[in-house]
Amino acid sequence: MEYYHSPDTIQDAFSIAEKCDGNFIYFAGGTDVQIYRKQNLDKNDHIIDLSSIHDLNSISLKDGNLTLGAMTSLGDIITSNKIQNKYPLLVEAAKSVATPVIRKTATIGGNILVRNRCTFYNQSQEWRNGVGSCLRDVGDICQVTGGKNDCYSRNVSDTAAALIALNAEITLLNSAGVSQQPLKDIFLPCGIKFHDLGNDNILTQISVSMKPKRWWYKKLRLRKTLDFTSLTVAATIDINNIARICLNGVSMTPILIEEPLETLTLENLIKQARKNCKTVDNDLMPLKYRREMINVFLEEWWEYEHRK
Amino acid sequence: MEKVALTVNGFTQLVLVESHETILDTIRNRLNLTGTKKCCDEGTCGSCTIMMDGKPVLGCLTPTLRCVGKKILTIEGISAGENLHSVQKHLVKSLGLQCGFCTPGVVMTAVPFLEENPKPSRDEIKENLSGNLCRCTGYKKIIDAVENAAEEMQS
Amino acid sequence: MSGAIGKPTPYIDAVQKVTGQAMYADDFKFPNMLYVRFLRSTESHAKIKSLNVTEVEASSGVVAVITGKDIPQPFGVLSISRDETAMAIEKVRYQGEIVAAVAAETIEAAEAAVKRFRVEYEPIKEFYTPEDSLKTCESHEQIHPHTKDHKNIHKTAELRFNEPEKELETAKHKQTGNFKFAGVTHGFTEPHSAVAMWNGDETLTVISATQVPHYLHKNLSKVLGLPLHKIQVKKPVLGGGFGGKSDPFPHEMIVSYLAMKTKRPVKCTFSREEVFITHHGRHPTEIAMSISCDDDGKLTALDTDIIIDGGAFGSFGVVTSYYNGVLLQGPYKLDKFGFRTRRTYTNKHQCGAMRGHGAVNPRYAVETLLDMMAHDMKMDPCDLREKNFLSEHSSTVGEFRITSNGIRDCIAAVRKKSDWDNRYGKLPFGRGLGVACGFFISGSALPILWNRYPQTVVHAKLDFDGRIVMFSGASEIGQGSDTMLVQIAAEELGIPMDFVQVEVADTKTTPVDLGSYSSRVTFMVGNAAKTAASNVRSEMAKAIAKEKDVSAESLIFKNGRIFTKDKSLDISWEEGVEMAMAGRGAFVESGFYISPKLGGKFKGAGAGLSPSYSFGAFISEVEVNPKTGETNVKKVWGAHDCGKALNPLAVEGQIEGSIHMGLGQVMSEEMRYNNGQQMNANFFDYRIPSSLDTPDMDVTIIESNDPEGPYGAKEAGEGPIHPVLPSIGNAVFDAVGIRMMELPITPDKVLKKLKETA
Ligand SMILES: Cc1cc2nc3c(=O)[nH]c(=O)nc-3n(C[C@H](O)[C@H](O)[C@H](O)COP(=O)(O)OP(=O)(O)OC[C@H]3O[C@@H](n4cnc5c(N)ncnc54)[C@H](O)[C@@H]3O)c2cc1C
Ligand code: SF4
Ligand code: FES
Ligand code: FES
Repeated sequence: MEYYHSPDTIQDAFSIAEKCDGNFIYFAGGTDVQIYRKQNLDKNDHIIDLSSIHDLNSISLKDGNLTLGAMTSLGDIITSNKIQNKYPLLVEAAKSVATPVIRKTATIGGNILVRNRCTFYNQSQEWRNGVGSCLRDVGDICQVTGGKNDCYSRNVSDTAAALIALNAEITLLNSAGVSQQPLKDIFLPCGIKFHDLGNDNILTQISVSMKPKRWWYKKLRLRKTLDFTSLTVAATIDINNIARICLNGVSMTPILIEEPLETLTLENLIKQARKNCKTVDNDLMPLKYRREMINVFLEEWWEYEHRK
Repeated sequence: MEKVALTVNGFTQLVLVESHETILDTIRNRLNLTGTKKCCDEGTCGSCTIMMDGKPVLGCLTPTLRCVGKKILTIEGISAGENLHSVQKHLVKSLGLQCGFCTPGVVMTAVPFLEENPKPSRDEIKENLSGNLCRCTGYKKIIDAVENAAEEMQS
Repeated sequence: MSGAIGKPTPYIDAVQKVTGQAMYADDFKFPNMLYVRFLRSTESHAKIKSLNVTEVEASSGVVAVITGKDIPQPFGVLSISRDETAMAIEKVRYQGEIVAAVAAETIEAAEAAVKRFRVEYEPIKEFYTPEDSLKTCESHEQIHPHTKDHKNIHKTAELRFNEPEKELETAKHKQTGNFKFAGVTHGFTEPHSAVAMWNGDETLTVISATQVPHYLHKNLSKVLGLPLHKIQVKKPVLGGGFGGKSDPFPHEMIVSYLAMKTKRPVKCTFSREEVFITHHGRHPTEIAMSISCDDDGKLTALDTDIIIDGGAFGSFGVVTSYYNGVLLQGPYKLDKFGFRTRRTYTNKHQCGAMRGHGAVNPRYAVETLLDMMAHDMKMDPCDLREKNFLSEHSSTVGEFRITSNGIRDCIAAVRKKSDWDNRYGKLPFGRGLGVACGFFISGSALPILWNRYPQTVVHAKLDFDGRIVMFSGASEIGQGSDTMLVQIAAEELGIPMDFVQVEVADTKTTPVDLGSYSSRVTFMVGNAAKTAASNVRSEMAKAIAKEKDVSAESLIFKNGRIFTKDKSLDISWEEGVEMAMAGRGAFVESGFYISPKLGGKFKGAGAGLSPSYSFGAFISEVEVNPKTGETNVKKVWGAHDCGKALNPLAVEGQIEGSIHMGLGQVMSEEMRYNNGQQMNANFFDYRIPSSLDTPDMDVTIIESNDPEGPYGAKEAGEGPIHPVLPSIGNAVFDAVGIRMMELPITPDKVLKKLKETA
């Protein structure tokens, strides 16, 4: 059976969540998770739709510090002059997600927590019946690697890459209280459990206080719209000349490389990136090419950073 | 099944729906408003675009129960039977449609877009329609139509 | 022309479409209707050992469950390859093939019931690639028992004229290439859908999203064992076809059978994934081709060997096999010419006809080789082509009769508009221009099923209300055929278009038309409609002449009036109608079209015969990023000779749509498989270009006035796609100096080539 709940307050959401005892899923915009439900990849009985909780929808910029309610739509982020002025990187990243109409419903919180993808997993039930189910579903091997332990589904969040490069923090709320942590810390290097939010935690806020001196963003995809990323690179340089380069779409988590610009060499950057990215053949762009593009994108950023 | 009140095209009625149902299936199958089209059912084509409280949303991704208490507008409600909306008029005039299957979605995307952006550039129109798959027209005449509609609505 | 013909004309059904009132197949709902869902095979090639029907029958809401042996009669669009049944019988041949069908009170009940099926399969050796299928195998491993020599070859088509291979052996200027093309699919937006009803008078009515009501009608009769006169097929408004709805389909047989069985209306609508599984798109193709020319750049020979991957069933495959070869006979004159095409069966969903049927991939090959030739001979690629064009009113080596031919005007137009002469070969590294030409039939001169009837008949009916109703079996699929019927009647009778209405694509009420395929509608139906309408005019003129004592020939029908030149007689249309109907009442006049006798006497001479051919020339401009391999098509200039644009808006629309579809195949679309299973059966990963990916287009209509086309018209719906792909491929060469021999031109391939040539 399926049940749909539409709480007006976070407290109501928690009490519903508690009653559902783990057998529920939060809907923010629902633009990602709805398809998982149609494909029987999300089998929870209860939907808790957060879209009526209005105090999670806000954009505020105080003393140059950006605070976003988790339910702020990507569309609102893109059209916000405040964000465009101070954090154009975030706007770029948000603009590269899905399509204009979807972005009006899709939330920043949902985008950060967008579910990992894999060509053998993001398919209909009938399709999966054909190839055989995999580790992440109800099967016991990985259809990509043949392995029995690890799932390499890809984290595809474009805005997570940008926000991690911006050293963003997130605020989580559960019935026990509030906690804050760097965004980069919630991701786990596992394609099945790809973040560690805790069961009923609601992501309420994203805050950015870093003021990047420079930024760079690029997303690899075949079309200029709609496609999930095959490689996203977001990079910033902060006032202390620390470079933060975040790669996504090529591993189970966003991969952050953080180093003073002064000591960073291109060779080393590429080496670290290639080593940390557990890229497997689970995207329709060929594996070899995606790996090559890691180099090319990083080189391009490097050139941009060192241009005269 | 749940009994809910839905306001569609200005009229509120009680409807019995499944809790997992999308508004696309509800309006097509239960309210018989078949103008909204189902092409992919997974967010990739824009054919099912409708408006919820004035904002375009994809019918195939929107839970019906989310629409309770909201104002839903479908293609059937756009021209209120009499005069075509400028966007519709110009789609007809410039042949911004061939088979017409993507057309309701195009209208429901372009109308709120022009309300928000009364003076769009051609590139902005292109960008805004980039989630509306059309396999017939090559988009050129659709973009022409929206451009002409914007001009007409200005004057 | 003074009337509606030649004027940019919005579609007559556009308001319906733009308001959501147009009724597509899935929009029909009937009282007491049942819904159908399918059990589809999870195996590619396997015996069905067992199936638990009784358990499924017991599922709540289920009214009927049927399996392959309930509808055993094979069918297929071509009578020579009726190799498909409505559902798998004994064995399955591809993953996704329908194994059983459930009709239930609701879609959900049908879905729930299908989940209760348990099937046991016994795998048979699978054949996933043509290479596998060309090899010999055990007879029990053959995909179909009827293939020869223990191989899975469905068809070998071969024609040779004047020993091209000899010429090629010794030719001084020769180019050879091996090309590889991924399969692509139509991607129409409306999923297949059909509703069947068993009527009280023991007749069957089927409303289906089909481009070929007539062939569906005939196949239904065969499969159901129901006489033709008891079947009515109606095509509602159709959401795109492009060849993908031009076969009779299993689901159409199934809903019809179930309607007969349950005596209730039965509907079935596909999910997008099922549309992909059903496919019938362009064949994955491998082409080895050689061309030669003399010192002057005149082509001396072309020889090619082609393998096309047909999938599990025949569909249009025999025709596709021939079209891959024979349509290379234009637009260039060739005296020594040969081809062999082999179509293999494989354990994948079947391929069939798709816009530009059969000729798109070989066109890419030949236009690429021509470009290579021009490059090696240091000639301008446009000049080289211009030296070789077929002339008007000539004949090809395979005895195709060429009538009108505007190719020279086409190439001149795009050459000028793109500023080719000043820019080709001179753009900075990373930017380039490419040219290519095209050639296509304007209606197949031979019907698919041989018969003695015309290829189309149109009735024009006049009644007391002054309205003309055009009755035609022609299938409007978005190309504008309904509007054309109205324009033609309005033109012939000198009345406003709103006096004319259509009654179309209903096998009970409209005369036979073969369907919307092979770009035949404008030419054939247009001619028939013109005759029908002008016959109405003659009948009216006769009656008026008699009553008013003027000569019938002196009457002019124009602007809603009927008058003599000196206006001694000047009556309104309505007055004319009354005179015409006096003493006889409403009447119907007919027109028909039969293609003239064409072609040679040799075996295979019929393939590609057409009463007329269309021509075109396109130039594309691209930008290639040499670091990432990404290619961006900036602009396409297209000039197409459609004879006469009856509706310039519609012709432009067809050309623009062709550019979009061609762009998709050349840049991003591709059917991807993993052991015969399609990896990208959705619009996330089957990448059709969006509005942002589609380049600027500059379209030029060339009018060569065909002597036999209606008002000089010929086709524009398919011909414009052919030059799009190679013009882009050739532009990539101009930009970065690499030859893309494999489609789609994805960034990884470009980068690989760039590295290889560096
Ligand atoms: C056609 C199409 C194209 C797309 N393209 C892209 C793309 O290019 N890049 C991309 O990243 N995504 C893409 N998506 C996926 C999706 O639309 C976006 O990721 C979107 O931003 C998700 O936001 P949402 O609010 O709809 O998330 P939802 O679907 O509502 O949620 C996503 C996940 O996050 C969880 N969640 C959401 N909010 C919270 C919260 N506040 N607290 C706790 N958990 C929460 C949900 O439980 C769920 O697991 C695409 C989707 C479609 C249909
Ligand atoms: S990487 Fe392997 S285990 Fe993970 S989703 Fe893909 S196939 Fe399944
Ligand atoms: S049907 Fe909703 S986006 Fe395609
Ligand atoms: S008009 Fe056919 S899909 Fe757009």
